[in-house]
Amino acid sequence: MAAMEGALQNQPPQPLQQQQPQPAAVERLNDAVQQQLNLKSVKDRATNLFKNITRILEDLDGHARTNTTPKWQDLLSQYSMVNLELFNIVDEIKKVSKAFVVYPKNVNAENAVVLPVMLSSKLLPEMEVEDNAKREQLLLGLQSLPISTQIDKLKARIDMIGAACESAEKVLADTRKAYCIGTRQGIPVVPTLDKAQAAKIQEQENLLRAAVNYGEALRLPPDQRQNPPALPMHLVDVLGGGDGGAQAFPEASGMYSKNTPVSSSNLSGQSPLMQVPGSQLLGRSAASPGGTSITNFDNTTTSPLPYANSPRSGTNIMNTPSPQQQNQQQKQQQQQQQQQQQQQQQQKLMQLPPQQQLLAQQQFRQSAMQGLGQNPLHQLHDLQGQAQQKFQSLHGQHQMQFSPSMGHQQFQGRQLPSGHVPHGIGQNQLNPGSQMNRHLSQFSGAANSALFNAAQTTPNQMIPNMSATMSSQSLLPRMQPQFEMPGNNPQRSHASQILSDQMFNMGATNTGGMMPLQQQHGSQGAFGNMAQNAQNLQSNMVALQGTPQNHPNFNQQRQQNQQQ
Amino acid sequence: MECVVQGIIETQHVEALEILLQGLCGVRREPLKVHEICLKSGPNLGAVPSEVRLICNLEQTEPTWTVRFVGGAMRGAGAEQLSVLVRTVIESKASKNVLRLFYALGYKLDHELLRVGFAFHFQRGTQMTVTVSSVNKMPQLHNTDEAVPVTPGIQLVEVTAPASSETYTEVASAVSSFCEYLAPLLHLSKPGISTGVVPTAAAAAASLMSDGGGTTL
Repeated sequence: MAAMEGALQNQPPQPLQQQQPQPAAVERLNDAVQQQLNLKSVKDRATNLFKNITRILEDLDGHARTNTTPKWQDLLSQYSMVNLELFNIVDEIKKVSKAFVVYPKNVNAENAVVLPVMLSSKLLPEMEVEDNAKREQLLLGLQSLPISTQIDKLKARIDMIGAACESAEKVLADTRKAYCIGTRQGIPVVPTLDKAQAAKIQEQENLLRAAVNYGEALRLPPDQRQNPPALPMHLVDVLGGGDGGAQAFPEASGMYSKNTPVSSSNLSGQSPLMQVPGSQLLGRSAASPGGTSITNFDNTTTSPLPYANSPRSGTNIMNTPSPQQQNQQQKQQQQQQQQQQQQQQQQKLMQLPPQQQLLAQQQFRQSAMQGLGQNPLHQLHDLQGQAQQKFQSLHGQHQMQFSPSMGHQQFQGRQLPSGHVPHGIGQNQLNPGSQMNRHLSQFSGAANSALFNAAQTTPNQMIPNMSATMSSQSLLPRMQPQFEMPGNNPQRSHASQILSDQMFNMGATNTGGMMPLQQQHGSQGAFGNMAQNAQNLQSNMVALQGTPQNHPNFNQQRQQNQQQ
Repeated sequence: MECVVQGIIETQHVEALEILLQGLCGVRREPLKVHEICLKSGPNLGAVPSEVRLICNLEQTEPTWTVRFVGGAMRGAGAEQLSVLVRTVIESKASKNVLRLFYALGYKLDHELLRVGFAFHFQRGTQMTVTVSSVNKMPQLHNTDEAVPVTPGIQLVEVTAPASSETYTEVASAVSSFCEYLAPLLHLSKPGISTGVVPTAAAAAASLMSDGGGTTL
């Protein structure tokens, strides 16, 4: 029986032909059997199954050859289909297998090996041994007992195994349901959330996403934005005792009036040489334009006092950077000798033609910059404030690169190396630039030359660098009240100003280009003029076209302020 | 630039998510406690206000500060097809004076939040970071000790990966394929698009939390 079944199962596609009646007379199966088994349909089903399996195997083969990953879900479903079909066919035949006998017609190579096994009524020796061993294992410890006990025990074992199988099936079904895989023959059951719960969760989710991405529901009302009662550890030393929130530094005016005493306290690691320039600057700022002879070039350049008197300070531009100013003063004092040398060089420069002056200035600047080694980027802040000034200072033959004059009053007190005071333009225009120059020159050599070189190259590249350098220092809000920078990146605008400052430094000789800048409202003509004169600046100028729009505004403002 | 997706998960399933991430990422989880201060520029700095985020990492004994500028997202047909959001981001470490600096520049405090949770930093085709955190708000200014969650029952899951303009497509596909592994527990989407919770989350969490189950015969 086992052999027969084995034969049947091994040969589902083929055996039916052997089992059919002889060809001579269309014999029919026994009626009884025929009721139980529709032979033809079984044969058709078997051939179909065979075809399906062949097709699947070919697909797999194709996948293996082309090295693509098959869609496992499809393959698995096909496999399950085929499996099911085979199971059904075998099941049907099993019902009537007793009525059939394997009747080989002839022996050939194909079935020579298999036939003896199929026809034997006894197991093969090896199989018999296996069988005995399994029986031994099964009846271990039971052979001594009476048969009925053996039967009971075996039944109990079968029941246990059956129970284990059932629990396993249950676990599988539960997991399938949970993962929405679905039962073997059923549709997946998706666990749905309660509608109310889902709505609540949705609402919470929107709240959370809005809070994280846009800050909704996190903004405190203005009355609660006062100084917090207790600051956490990481903010204690950052915010200090009382200037939490959006408070600007309120120290500006105080600093200006008494710059010298404060400066020494604020300057860390700098020689306290502030006292001298402060007093001198006080005197200078009151002088009339062009009236005083500027003997000490250095002293005129750096005092923060001009801020106090200049129109810009009036507009509160110079709010905070007193430490910077003091640093400037210190730096200026330390650079006195250098500046004297520079003055002489500048005088020579004045007499050169513009382009040569430009080149000479560049060299000049670089040499000056290398000499300076302190507070490299402190001056950047001043630069921002003085971008406009820079514009104007470069006007005409006046090359005040290293004489930082702040406001016209400063200019009056300032030493003009060449003595060329372009009265036509007015002092307003001259002062700012020189101050800027001064500040730039006070940068450390490395920083300055870096900025300088960056300015030479693409301004766009410059801007991130500027931002980086600037952010590393404490940017003072000098510019805030006055400077309305279009564009949304304050760093960018600062950087652009610095950039253009440097540009103007380089193009100091092209003061002719500066003029239209002052007079035009938001025009970019100045830059065009600049470019004509300074070829090496041309590309930079073009690139700066977008940014310098700030400057005309500033110029305007400054002019207005100065006139007021 | 970075590719970013966000999702939500119920707080009760966070532990299961951690187990799943532990298995997927292969690295240890790192605790996360971040005080994020969002500043908006004042009118003096331009017509269009810009936003800058200062992130103070409170996890170490010495807090570290980072400046973060989040730019606009990439737009266009290609961007719409991506399942992740690609946006410009500029980040930089900063000293503790950075808050003062920005106040001095004219920035004003817009809002602040405290993120508490954990993060996984790992490599899977590209460098990726997964953070699971509860977002807390502070009832008083800067009072991080008394922060309460904005949504107590739900935490935020964020997957970010740095990218550049040349590599963003690969990074986006790496991120989205990683997110598929998290599908039984949560769905992730572009920030701003809500996803809801996943119905299989409970069962998936249960199976992740269990020790394997099964009975021995």
